[in-house]
Amino acid sequence: MHDVHVAALVAILIGVLTVLPRAIRGPTMLDRILAVNVIGTKTIVLVALVGFLGVEHGILEGAPANDYERAGFFLDIALAYSLINFIATIAVLRYVETRARRKAAVEGGGA
Amino acid sequence: MSDAQSPVIRYVARRAVPFIQLYALYVLGHGEDGPGGGFQGGVIFASSIVLLALVFGYGAGRKACPERISDFISPLGCLVYASIGLLCLLMGGMFLEYARLAGPDASDHAKHAAHHFGLIGIEAGVMLTVTASMVTLFFEMARPAPDEGGLDE
Repeated sequence: MHDVHVAALVAILIGVLTVLPRAIRGPTMLDRILAVNVIGTKTIVLVALVGFLGVEHGILEGAPANDYERAGFFLDIALAYSLINFIATIAVLRYVETRARRKAAVEGGGA
Repeated sequence: MSDAQSPVIRYVARRAVPFIQLYALYVLGHGEDGPGGGFQGGVIFASSIVLLALVFGYGAGRKACPERISDFISPLGCLVYASIGLLCLLMGGMFLEYARLAGPDASDHAKHAAHHFGLIGIEAGVMLTVTASMVTLFFEMARPAPDEGGLDE
């Protein structure tokens, strides 16, 4: 189980690395938003996998190794992260939409 | 206008809000043996109201949590916290010594239960205050300027 989790972790990290250039370079704002959203979705799985790895190594305080009940701790965090990620994406999209509309209104008014 | 948005977002947001609020209560209740507690639960609860305001506009969000209600809940949480602490004082213990809430000659089991209820009680107080404060902060920052639509634009 341990090797499978490490392999999944590495695969997801590679996935994050492949979208990272898109998040940095753009070229449009929507590219960046989509890339950040993809990274956020991957982070949710990453948090869950880190929880399983931590359980397998018994690094959580007071817990014996391979006590999978303890991974619920990290699943709670992953769930909260996914909620915040969803709301953050909507907030950024609202901002971009409003800004574009305002800019269009200013240019239309000036012309 | 705020209703120019995608129906997908409106539908998902409407369906997600009760689950976010339920999850906030879960986080509140599991503060002892998991991540979370009053503060985190309050922030998650407030995020559901923020989501409403983002998707349905400033006015609809404020209607879900009117100013006079959030202004009332914010000090109410402090009152809950302080009164549970003072109740412990009245029962002959120290401030926030929850085990005393069970009474002067309670069994160990009752003291244990009282400790848990006291802890949940003050966490609920924290959650009320944090929720109301977060909502107030968000709406004060998102308040539309007189010449602009803000979130309703």
